Amino acid sequence: MPNPATPRALIRAASLVKRYGRRNVVDRISLVVNAGEVLAVIGPNGAGKSTTLDLILRLRDPDEGTVEYAEPDLRRRIGVQLQTTPIFPGYTALENMRLAAAFQRLRLKDDELMRRLADCGLADAAKTDAARLSGGQQKRLAIAMALVHDPKLLFLDEPTAALDPRARREVRELIGSLAKGGTSVVFTSHEMEEVHRLADRIVFISEGRIAAEGAPAALLEQHGAADLEQLYLRLTAG
Amino acid sequence: MTTVFRTFLIGQFRDAHTWFWTIVLPIALLVGLGFWLDRPGYAERLLAGVIAMNVLFGPGMVTPFQVMTLRNRGVFKLLRAASLPTSAFITAVACARTALSLAVGACLLATGGLLFGVRLTLPGLALILLATLAGSVCFTAVGFISGNLGRNESSTSMISNLICMPMLLTSEAFWSLEQAPQWINVISRLHPFSHFVNLLSDGVRGSWQTSTWTSLGALAAFTLLCLSLAAATFRWDDERVRFRILANH
Repeated sequence: MPNPATPRALIRAASLVKRYGRRNVVDRISLVVNAGEVLAVIGPNGAGKSTTLDLILRLRDPDEGTVEYAEPDLRRRIGVQLQTTPIFPGYTALENMRLAAAFQRLRLKDDELMRRLADCGLADAAKTDAARLSGGQQKRLAIAMALVHDPKLLFLDEPTAALDPRARREVRELIGSLAKGGTSVVFTSHEMEEVHRLADRIVFISEGRIAAEGAPAALLEQHGAADLEQLYLRLTAG
Repeated sequence: MTTVFRTFLIGQFRDAHTWFWTIVLPIALLVGLGFWLDRPGYAERLLAGVIAMNVLFGPGMVTPFQVMTLRNRGVFKLLRAASLPTSAFITAVACARTALSLAVGACLLATGGLLFGVRLTLPGLALILLATLAGSVCFTAVGFISGNLGRNESSTSMISNLICMPMLLTSEAFWSLEQAPQWINVISRLHPFSHFVNLLSDGVRGSWQTSTWTSLGALAAFTLLCLSLAAATFRWDDERVRFRILANH
C-alpha cells in the first residue's frame, strides 16, 4: 500500500548532463516532479534552468542521464509555456488558440476557445493580431495555449517576466487556481516573493548544479536566511 | 492537420510579403511585360516564366522567413511537446503554400488567355499542374534550407537571395540562353529552376517531348535532394546560436 503522505512522482530525472562545447550547462542534475505540487526552479541567468526544463520535457536530448515519466501518456498531458512566446504573428489570438488545439489534435469549438481566452483575461483580444498584443497579453495567450488540452502538468518558463504588476498578479492568480484544481505546475522565476507565495518546493540551480532544494520555509531555516532574496544572494555569492 | 492547413491558407492573404511577392508582382509583371514586349511567341514564354517565378518567390522566398520566425519564436520546439507530429505541421503549411501557388497560377493562365490569347491544351494543362505541384514541393524544400541556415531576417534574406536569384538569372524564364556563354548553359542544367521553367514552357505550348521527360526526371531528383537537405539542416530551435554565446563566456 502506498503511503498517502508520500508524494507520487510524475517525472524522475536522474544525473542529467548537457554540454555545450566543453561547458556542462547542466551538470548531474537529479530532480523529481510530484503530482499536485507547485515546483519553482530558480537561479541566476545562464544557470541552466531553461535547459534543465528542456531536458525534462524531452525537448532536447541529454548527453548523460535519464528522464522517466510515471505514465506512458504523460507527455501528451503536459502543457508548456516557453521563455520565447510561441505565437503565430499575423494570426488573431483566437486563431492561435485554434492552432494550439490542433497541435494537441483537438477540435474545439470557437465558443470553447473563447471561454478559455476569457479565463486568461483575453476575451476582448480574441480578434486582435497576436503580434499586436502587449507583452503581458502575449504571455497570457501563451499560457492559454499551453492550457488548451487541460494538462495534468504545466511548465511555465518565467511566466511573469516583463509583465506589469497587474498582469503579474493575474498570472500568479491563474497559477494559484490551477494548483488548487490539482494541476501540477513547474515554473521558473526571478521574483523571489512570487516564488515564496506560489511554490510548495524550490530547486535552486547554480552553474548547472542543484545548490539547494526543499520547501521555502525549510530552506530558509536550513540556511538561516530571512527571506528567499537573501538566500538567493547567499547562494550566488562568490 | 486540416485546421493548420485552413488557418495558414487564410492567413497567407493577410501577409504583406505574400501579397507582394506571390500575388501582385506576378500578375503585374505578366500584364506589364506582356503589353510592353508584344512580340510573336513571347507571351507563351512570359506566361511560363511568370508562373515559375511565382513558385520561386512564394515557396522559395517567403517560406524561409516563415521557417525562421516559427523557429525563433519557439513554435517548432513547442511542437516537440505536442501530439501533432512536426512533419504533419510542415506538410500542412507547405500544402497551404502550394494551394496558393496553384490559385495564382490559375489566375495567371486566365490572364494570359484573356489578354494575350494564349491557348492551352488539356495535356498541356496537366503538365502545368504536375510541374507546379512538383515545383512547389521542391522550392518549399529550398525555402526550408534557406530558413534553416538563416539566423535572423537579414541573414535569411541574404541566403534565400543567394540561392534563388542565380537560379532565376541562369534560366530561360524570361529570355533565351542561346546566345549566352557555354558555362551559363551548363549552370542552368545544374539547378531545378531551369527544368521547372522548361516543363512549364512545354505545358504552355502543349507539347510533350523527350526533353519534357528529362526535365521531369531532373526536377523529381532535385526535389528529393532538396527535401533531404532540408531535413538534414532542420533546426528545432536556436540551440546553435545559444551554444555560440555560451561558448564565448
